[in-house]
Amino acid sequence: MRQSPVLSLAAVGTVAVALALLAFFAIAVLNVQQLTASWGENLAIVAYLDEVPEEAKLKRWVKEIEAYPEVGSVTFVSRAQAFERFRKRLGDDADLVEGLGVEVLPASLEISLAEDHLSEVTVTGLVERLRRDSRFDDLQYGQGWLEKLEAFLLLLRISGSALGGFLVFAALVIVSNTIKLTLYARQDELEAMAMVGGTSLFIKLPYLIEGTLQGVIGGLTALGLSFLVFELILQESLGSLLLITGIDTIHFLPSTWQLFLIACGGLIGLLGSLFALRKFVRYGSA
Amino acid sequence: MVQFFNVSKAYQRDLNALSDINLKVAKGEFVYLTGPSGAGKSTLLKLLYCAERPTRGQILVNGRNITRFGSSRIPLLRRNLGIVFQDFKLLTRRTVYENVSFPLEVQGRKRFEISKKVYQTLKNVGLEHRLNHYPLQLSGGEQQRVAVARALVVDPLVLLADEPTGNLDPEVTLDIMELFKGANARGTTILMATHDRGLIHQFPRRVITLEAGQIATDDLPLVDGFADSM
Ligand SMILES: Nc1ncnc2c1ncn2[C@@H]1O[C@H](COP(=O)(O)OP(=O)(O)OP(=O)(O)O)[C@@H](O)[C@H]1O
Ligand SMILES: [Mg+2]
Repeated sequence: MRQSPVLSLAAVGTVAVALALLAFFAIAVLNVQQLTASWGENLAIVAYLDEVPEEAKLKRWVKEIEAYPEVGSVTFVSRAQAFERFRKRLGDDADLVEGLGVEVLPASLEISLAEDHLSEVTVTGLVERLRRDSRFDDLQYGQGWLEKLEAFLLLLRISGSALGGFLVFAALVIVSNTIKLTLYARQDELEAMAMVGGTSLFIKLPYLIEGTLQGVIGGLTALGLSFLVFELILQESLGSLLLITGIDTIHFLPSTWQLFLIACGGLIGLLGSLFALRKFVRYGSA
Repeated sequence: MVQFFNVSKAYQRDLNALSDINLKVAKGEFVYLTGPSGAGKSTLLKLLYCAERPTRGQILVNGRNITRFGSSRIPLLRRNLGIVFQDFKLLTRRTVYENVSFPLEVQGRKRFEISKKVYQTLKNVGLEHRLNHYPLQLSGGEQQRVAVARALVVDPLVLLADEPTGNLDPEVTLDIMELFKGANARGTTILMATHDRGLIHQFPRRVITLEAGQIATDDLPLVDGFADSM
């Protein structure tokens, strides 16, 4: 059963590197995704009102819009409230608005999106609908940034999957080849086993187990490696990057993903050795 | 026990290693396959343990048509056969004991049954004191006796031996022949390929001579002065 240690190390190493890379991308994607969610919470469409209707009518409007499935909540901001906010935001320069009446700012409805409808598509859809409504003078929303963030996420996912997929494939080939090299060295033995009635499963099983084990060890190494890189580098750099955007904690992979990573390693090992064994233990040539 | 019906085998197109072989070996028979190098002796044996497939014709072993056996049934067929190769084909990373027990383990026999049987068989070939040696620590003759033990440990229906004494000195050859005769006496059908005319003379049995892939002669033993009693 014993393989050359260098070969085993190569197999475990490539599985580890491939999966660690996938893990990095997953960490980045998951955290940026978290960003979309938190930004989305603050995402509101502001519908400016031409004229402020009487209270009962206003309540009806609010109810009406809140009934849209993609809408989370609707808040009325009166001219006075808007003015007050504006002044606060100006801070030290508040005297700039001195002498101006509350009527300079329009009243508005702030419409926030429901949690599970945070996407560019629903926002534009909702805006379209509100635009057709003559009651609202002007609409403002964070058009553009969401689109950009989503495009960035997509890019991250695609490049991560492509690179990860390529590396996983490379790992498969390398695992398969290390097992194959071992098998070449054992060819006579495999043949001898087949000659005295060993079924192919009986003969292959130790090699399948060995391959799977290598994969699992590779997966564990990848997990350790990515955790180390996460702790030492990623948390700092990605953290400071995302901090600007209002996210204060960067998360490592959730435990299901960690298990998935290890399982992936095992699967790579199993498939790699299955692939290698396909050519061996045939009953033909003796 | 073994029957060939119009069997031909061509490794390459239009080049028959065996042509139109018809042959019947009854249960309990001891048959020599002889003939010049390249006549097709090994090929005939390989067809019997499904290492090669016939190009034409049908082969029966123990009443079963093995011609179309797939990879799931071949191991089962081989468990009923004992095969002895000229180059032994022992598992070099396993001890003598493990080599001989392997065919029984493959069959899923019980551990205590295996150890009893293996010990007994190794005793029969005179190697019970070499249980824990590795094949490469043994002489050629001893290795061949391990191979014979591995073939006989399963009490095979048919023993196929391809020049089992090819590289061995006359004394060891006699030992091996005694083992074969013993197995034959216990009911195992034996097909043995050999060049050794002297051996055939010394232990006369049915002799099938192949020439260029065809059966040239098929003789029952002459009962003469050299004949071992049948
Ligand atoms: N795997 C193979 N591929 C192609 N031709 C083969 C193969 N095995 C055997 N042959 C050919 O088939 C013929 C019969 O070979 P076989 O090995 O059966 O002869 P043999 O009687 O056992 O000879 P020997 O006494 O030298 O062992 C030979 O002409 C040989 O070249
Ligand atoms: Mg031969």
